[in-house]
This record gives sequence, C-alpha cells and structure tokens, in this order.
Amino acid sequence: MLTLRSRHVVTAAFVAILLVAGSPAGGQEKSRMDVVLDRGKLIVVTLTTVPPFAFNDDKGQLVGFDIDIARLVATALFKDPNKVEFVSVSAEGRWPAIESGRADMGVGGTTTYPDRAIRVAFTRPFIDSGISVLVSKKSGIKSVKDLDQDKYTIANLNNPQMADRAKRFFPKTKILTFDTPSAQFLAVKSGRANALQIDTPSAEYWAAQNKDEMEVLSGLLGASQNNGIFLKPGDFKWWLWLDTAVAEMRTGSWYPQYSEIYQKWFGKNPPPQKFYLQQ
Amino acid sequence: MNFGRWVAIYGPTYLTALGWTAVTAVGAACGALIWGCALLLIRLSAGRWGARGVDAYVQLFRNTPVLLPIYLIYFAFPMIGLPWPAVVCGGLALILQNAAYISEILRGSVNAIDRVQFDAARSIGLAPWSTFRKVVLPQVLVYSIPALGNQTVLLLKDTSLLSAISITELTMQAKLLTEQTGAAYEAFIVVALLYLLLVSGTEVLFRVTHRAVRWR
Repeated sequence: MLTLRSRHVVTAAFVAILLVAGSPAGGQEKSRMDVVLDRGKLIVVTLTTVPPFAFNDDKGQLVGFDIDIARLVATALFKDPNKVEFVSVSAEGRWPAIESGRADMGVGGTTTYPDRAIRVAFTRPFIDSGISVLVSKKSGIKSVKDLDQDKYTIANLNNPQMADRAKRFFPKTKILTFDTPSAQFLAVKSGRANALQIDTPSAEYWAAQNKDEMEVLSGLLGASQNNGIFLKPGDFKWWLWLDTAVAEMRTGSWYPQYSEIYQKWFGKNPPPQKFYLQQ
Repeated sequence: MNFGRWVAIYGPTYLTALGWTAVTAVGAACGALIWGCALLLIRLSAGRWGARGVDAYVQLFRNTPVLLPIYLIYFAFPMIGLPWPAVVCGGLALILQNAAYISEILRGSVNAIDRVQFDAARSIGLAPWSTFRKVVLPQVLVYSIPALGNQTVLLLKDTSLLSAISITELTMQAKLLTEQTGAAYEAFIVVALLYLLLVSGTEVLFRVTHRAVRWR
C-alpha cells in the first residue's frame, strides 16, 4: 500500500513523463512516401460523420466520396484499392493524428484555409466545396437574413471558421457548438436548433434524405471553397506525389476514375477536365 | 510552441470551462445521492415488486454507457415537447446513472448494519419511516463515504462526455483550443492536469469528511 506522500510523488512522475512525451523530438526523418511504400499499406485519418464525404452506411461500412478518393490514392500506390487502413476521429482529432504520424494523410470534408495550412499541408483541392445553411422547414427561415434573429439557434461545428462566419453573417443568432457534423444534424432534426452550417455537399445530402423536414438556403456563406488531402507539412517528396495524384485525378490521366466516383456520389459529371476541352 | 508560453496565453480561457465541470459535477453528485437514497428507500419499503423495480432500474443503467442517456435525453426530449437546456439534460443523465450505482453502494452498507438494531427500533415503537431516517440512513451514509467518494470521482470524469451535447466544459474547451491553435498536446495536457487537481481535491474532501464523522 502506497502512503499518501509516495502516491503524490508517483503522480508527479507521471505528469513529468506526460510533459516530456508531449514535446515532439526533432531529428531527420525519412519521407512518408518511403514509409508507406515499405509498409505496403496507406493509413488515412478520416471523419465518419460527414455524409456524403465519409460516413457509415446501413451495413456499418465506412463509405463516401472522400473514402473512395483515398482508395483511388491507394490504387495509384499499390494497384489495390483495399491496401488502405482508415483511422476514424472526431473533427479536432484530425490534426494530432497527422502531427503525431499516426496517419500518412487525411481526408473527410476538410476545407483548406490559410490558417489551417500553417499546421497541416494541403494538396490542391480534389473537390470544390462551400458552406451552406441547412434549415428545418418548420422554422420558416427563407434566407440568411431571416436567420439573423435572436429567436433562432444555429448548430456550429467546433472550429473557429464556423464561429467567424456566424459572427459575420448572423451575429444575432444563438449558437450551439458540437464536435461532430452528425450531432449538428441531430440538433436540427430534434428541434434543438433551427439551422446548421456545413459543407454544401453534406447539406444537400441531408436535405435530400429529409425532403419533408429540411431544405438548403440558396447561396453560399462566403466564397466557394476547396477540400483537399491534408498531410504533415515539410515532407516535400510525399506532398509532391499526393499533389500530383490529385492533379491527375482532376485534370489528367486518372480523370475517368475520378469521374466515376463523382458520378457515384453526386449523380452528375465533375467539372470539366480542362476548361478549354469540349466535354 | 513552448508549453509555458502556451499556458500563459490560453490558460485563462479554461476558467469558465472549469466552472462548468465543477458545477455539473457537484450538482449531479448531490442529485445522484438524493435519488440514490430514494431508490434505497423504495427497495427497503415497497415490498417485493418495489425491490424488483429498483433491480430493473439498476440493471438498465449499469449495463448501458452513460453517453446513451445523455444523447437520448438531449436529442429526444425536444421531440416530445421538453426542450430542456443542455446542462439540465446532461446533469439528469448523470444523476440517473450514478444513482443506480449509489443505491447499490448504500444497499451494501445496509447489510453491514446489525439486524438487532431493526428489532430494537421496532421494540421502542419507531415507525418504519423514522427507522429509515434516524437509524438506517445516518449509519449507511457514514459507512458508504469511501465508496461514495470513488463514485463521485467517476462522475466527475464522466462530465467530459457532456462535450458531446454542446456544453463547454473542460474537454470541449480542449477540443475548441485544439481546433483554434493546433496545439493538441498542450490543450489536453492542461485539461489532464486540471482533472487531476479536481479529482485529488475530491479525494481529500471525502477522506477528511470520513475521518471527521467515523468515530461518532
């Protein structure tokens, strides 16, 4: 049996270990590209609660547009779409998963922002996105201007961009902050909130699934945006390869495979391969 | 970023969150103790069916993760016209589950009371309610203090789950700061230290209380 005093000493030792372990060690690392090729498998961090990008289907399988993009990356590396392992996290868990090296790259409705790009590197976008507002039809909200009243509540995701947009577009609206998009959605469905803001494809997916109860307000909150693959910054070889892979998907030799995935999830063709080519 | 500098900048933003954690934990602990005592009373006094009902209740809450009632009460109650605030829903879920454990702790202590005392109480003409209030409950509570302390510590740590329903307690604050600053290690180490502080404080409180009332 430990005495009170020695228990405190042990606790203090644990804290010290925690602090030391928390400061990442320096040193030369070999490129992730080589690590991935040696391992023979790609490890991808993703969310599981952002349909149609990444979510669990009726059978509990992880599916979605972003999941298929990750499988396409695995195919490019290993000629096998199944040589990929997905690590599921909540929204804020994406960055430490990359920083700690637990995953090689990440996808999952992740928008490129300049301030985000300080902590993680992004490839060029593999899909256009934007932020839309999904409202419950019962609320009677018809525009972003309607929403800007203190009798309404909006469900945000816990990132600062959401809070900034709320301040800018509907400063009077009450805010609830959640840690997953599916909780945001539940909040609107249950009447906790009258609206939510999320990536346009997610908003449209949910509206389509709940035609009687919800609709997407026309227009975007702010500008059109880019969703990219994210990875640990500073690894030029790995970043260049991933960026090249994305470029090939959207504008080059892998456009047919990319189009097939785009068709599967959005029921329409992706933006033209090159703006000066006839479709 | 340097840990000390990070704490100097963002440390103060934890204060409100610390308050929410403390308030929900204390509120839920008090509620759970009261409801746990009530469950014990039902078990002891409401006959065989009362005991079976309490058994079923205890099984239900002991065998489900507390996140379930938290989600259910928060998201389902508005659909039946009860849009209670998040902190009420979360607190209620914690109370319902912890009361199940507490009633079992108290039951264990009832068994530690000598049967002779019940006969003695009846022989001096104490009504069942008075026997419960004046003979059983005081002894049971004193016997149970160490176990109740453990349960309170568990409850305190379970408040972290309230981050799932938009309450900005310590864990949610760490998540927000991680998103805002990208400093995941720093944000969560600070939270770990604060939980450590709260839990140690709780332990000391229960130990001192136990020492004070034990030899009466």
